[in-house]
Amino acid sequence: MTLNDIEIGGSCIVTKLNDSGEIRRRIMDMGITKGARISVRKVAPLGDPIDLTVRGYHLSLRRSDAANIEVTPV
Amino acid sequence: MPFTIALVGNPNSGKTTLFNQLTGNHQYVGNWPGVTVERKTGALRGDAEVEVVDLPGIYSLTPYSNEEVVARDYLEHREADVILNIVDASNLERNLYLTTQLMEFGTPVVIALNQMDIVRKRGYEIDSAALSRALGLPVVEISALLGDGIDELIDAVRSAVAAGAAPVPCRFSSELEDLIAHFEADLPASVEPDVKRFHCIKYLERDPRIIEEHGTIHDLDDHIRAVEARFGDKADAVVANARYDYITGFIDRVQKRTAPELSATERVDRVLLNRVLALPIFVLIIIGIYWVAISSVGSYATDWANDGVFGDGWFADPIALVNPDASVQAAYDADAEPYDEAQAAIAEYLAAAQAAGIDTTAVEANYLAEPGEEALAAMGEGFEPDPDSDAAKQALAAFEKQAAAAGIVAEFPAIDEEEATETDYFVYYGAAARADAEARAEARNAEIERDGRADAAEAVAYSFDGTAVDDETGEEAPQGIGVPAPQDPSAYGLWIPGIPVFISAALEAVDCVPWLYDLVMDGIVAGVGAVLGFVPQIMILFFLLAILEGCGYMARVTFILDRIFRRFGLSGKTFVPMIVGTGCGVPGVMASRTIESESSRHLTVMTTTFMPCSAKLPIIALISTAVFGGTWWVAPLAYFMGIASIVISGIILKKTKPFLGETTPYIMELPEYRVPRLVDLLRSMWERAWSFIKKAGTIILLATIVVWFLAGYGVYEGQFMWVGDELADYSLLAYFGGTFAWIFTPLGFANWQAASTVVTGLIAKENVIGTMAVVFSGQGVAWPTAFMASLAETAGSAALVQVAAFSFMTFQLLCAPCFAAMGAIKREMGGFNKWFWAAIGWECAWAYGIALIIFQVGKLAITGSFGLGTAVAIALIAAILFGLFRPMPQGQMEAAPVEGE
Repeated sequence: MTLNDIEIGGSCIVTKLNDSGEIRRRIMDMGITKGARISVRKVAPLGDPIDLTVRGYHLSLRRSDAANIEVTPV
Repeated sequence: MPFTIALVGNPNSGKTTLFNQLTGNHQYVGNWPGVTVERKTGALRGDAEVEVVDLPGIYSLTPYSNEEVVARDYLEHREADVILNIVDASNLERNLYLTTQLMEFGTPVVIALNQMDIVRKRGYEIDSAALSRALGLPVVEISALLGDGIDELIDAVRSAVAAGAAPVPCRFSSELEDLIAHFEADLPASVEPDVKRFHCIKYLERDPRIIEEHGTIHDLDDHIRAVEARFGDKADAVVANARYDYITGFIDRVQKRTAPELSATERVDRVLLNRVLALPIFVLIIIGIYWVAISSVGSYATDWANDGVFGDGWFADPIALVNPDASVQAAYDADAEPYDEAQAAIAEYLAAAQAAGIDTTAVEANYLAEPGEEALAAMGEGFEPDPDSDAAKQALAAFEKQAAAAGIVAEFPAIDEEEATETDYFVYYGAAARADAEARAEARNAEIERDGRADAAEAVAYSFDGTAVDDETGEEAPQGIGVPAPQDPSAYGLWIPGIPVFISAALEAVDCVPWLYDLVMDGIVAGVGAVLGFVPQIMILFFLLAILEGCGYMARVTFILDRIFRRFGLSGKTFVPMIVGTGCGVPGVMASRTIESESSRHLTVMTTTFMPCSAKLPIIALISTAVFGGTWWVAPLAYFMGIASIVISGIILKKTKPFLGETTPYIMELPEYRVPRLVDLLRSMWERAWSFIKKAGTIILLATIVVWFLAGYGVYEGQFMWVGDELADYSLLAYFGGTFAWIFTPLGFANWQAASTVVTGLIAKENVIGTMAVVFSGQGVAWPTAFMASLAETAGSAALVQVAAFSFMTFQLLCAPCFAAMGAIKREMGGFNKWFWAAIGWECAWAYGIALIIFQVGKLAITGSFGLGTAVAIALIAAILFGLFRPMPQGQMEAAPVEGE
């Protein structure tokens, strides 16, 4: 299951990052690392990107990047 | 003791605000990540020996973007004596991630815990003493916004510098620490001993910059493989995880956060980012800003600046703001306009009479407000005009008798440049001439109606000396000689003369030589004044945009629009410059600064000025009314061409080499909303407006002088002389325009007049219409008619006038913008470099190509003639289609593998 599959309002724990290179580093720098808890808060009017809270702040990501983040729902 | 403080922190953590507090500087502050893109330096307030360096906001020291490179280079070279790490207390975990990296540079670190006021307002606690113990670093609570804790912070910084102790880097899990320790022995000798740990970690992450600087190391891959095997993850992920694990290890002891209930920001976002409402609200906000800044308040302010401050003057009259019809200005206009009309009619009638051999000297000298020098000279020394004197009345009566007998009717067109309308006057005196004039006016009106120019023109018969019944009021009003001169404006209300009036008076007072007077008044004051006239509009626009930026909405606009613009290879942030660009290209280009990715930013700067700015509106108005008879689709099509040009250019250029492989992912922090401070809004507005004003004083000043010279002087009958309007064909501008007018042959408007408007349009796009009015006038017909007649010649057929005019408009709208906008492009591109020339070159080539296609395809459709030009047009269309639909080159996929959707 990936972050992209989590419903709006749902939460999950990150288990693995499948992205590579710069984008993965960027995502990790922003606090999405193994074990981080993420809540999916909103989706943009056109369905993409999505708005999350992680480590107490709001972050938005494209769905294509969210699909590379493996999670376990909680 | 002199020392240097490096100010480092996450984007949007309040770093620039703290910098301003520390230095007393006035740097621009906004509520979106990435406001500071270059490093800025200032002296500590009250201690000139201490230097504060404001580095760009960064999330990490793994350099992706320019900002991160700037910050990391600075820290790596250890130019600073102390790192002042500003930490956003309301976002502690992620901010401390950067702190764990800063601790490894061997430079003392002091933590400024900012936005504690917000933390308290939200009702959770942070124990700064516990944080200090956990990190082993001094921590000072501050509020950069309110200036709280700044003195304590400076004290802490001073003692950290005095102690000079390097921080102890954070400890990871013992397994990882063992692997790192093992690694240290193999480091190259060029690594200084106290930053060994930093280099170990960077090697572990395969940091390309470190490997480039120190060379690779023996068994690097083995070391990395050992770590990856042990932790089952990529080495850089292991390190990032370890840093966050370190933070989560103590964070609960430091901060007590209650369960996250709905914050104020989330409540606002429920509406502003609502799935259904977000787009309509966004559109309304943009229309609102555009309407206020450009159409309502902005255009009022610009009219005031152009016609008042940089014109004759203005009335200090608050009524005008509320009800312009009841204003002092309206009262003055009601008296002044008939007089101006009468003066123009008198002058034309006298000229026609003189041409018919009638002596007009005495009438001209007495009844014309600005009589010719010849007439004055003929009246002898010491003559004072006095229309009420018996001599003047006798001369008038004698003249009128002669003129009526000759049946003179003087025809002349009056052009209203603002409204792009034309009134054709037929001036008569006496019953016989009156019948003639009325018949001619009627015939002209029928002609105008037949040609479909009903919106643009009308014809009237006008008496040289008599009365006529006003159509609107039904009252009998005087015409011609009988129209009274308005009183001095100061008799109507508080009249404040414009700057040109003062300059003109000053020049006259010192008996300035005529050519210098002309240069200053017609060249510099007119040209620079026209540009400065846009300052109020720009300031209003910037103020409103500063509100959007300061409150945090701008970041959300990119969230709303990213999906759309990603398709064009641009980011969601491209929309902002486009919208701003419809007002003026200069702030439009500047607004591109919000775009983080350099390639997207360059692309946006290159294409933003395709949007028709307000200065290009008169061109659109002229073509759509005079040439197309007010057809509804011309003006919207002009806007559509702008948008389409941006989109198509974006798609084509994104696939070319300079723009390949640099697609930045959209990973954007959405900041908390906050109410922007007025002082920050004003500062932001002023900083941007000031740079615009400076530009007007330099590049535009120079350009106006050159054009004034070229348009005014020329070679006539072998003599270099002042040619003015009368001999405009001999001006240097005509010569100059003539040398390259041939370029526009395939576009259908190759004459020196049209060519010279392209050049004067570079000074300011308003010049296009102004120059056309000058170069096409004096041919016995209204200048738009003369313009169209000239197009019939250059296009090769009367049937092609509309196509050629549309091609002319297209070229003017899309080609390189005015010098002011070029100046902005130069600044955003970082100088007169290849990017700048690429931008100007692309805009000109694009404008030329599209105008050529329009003219050649139109020509083929209308006349059926197929020539070289047609072939070129078809080749260009093919090239554009190829650029649009060819697949993304391979390099793009390798560099940004995630882009594949």
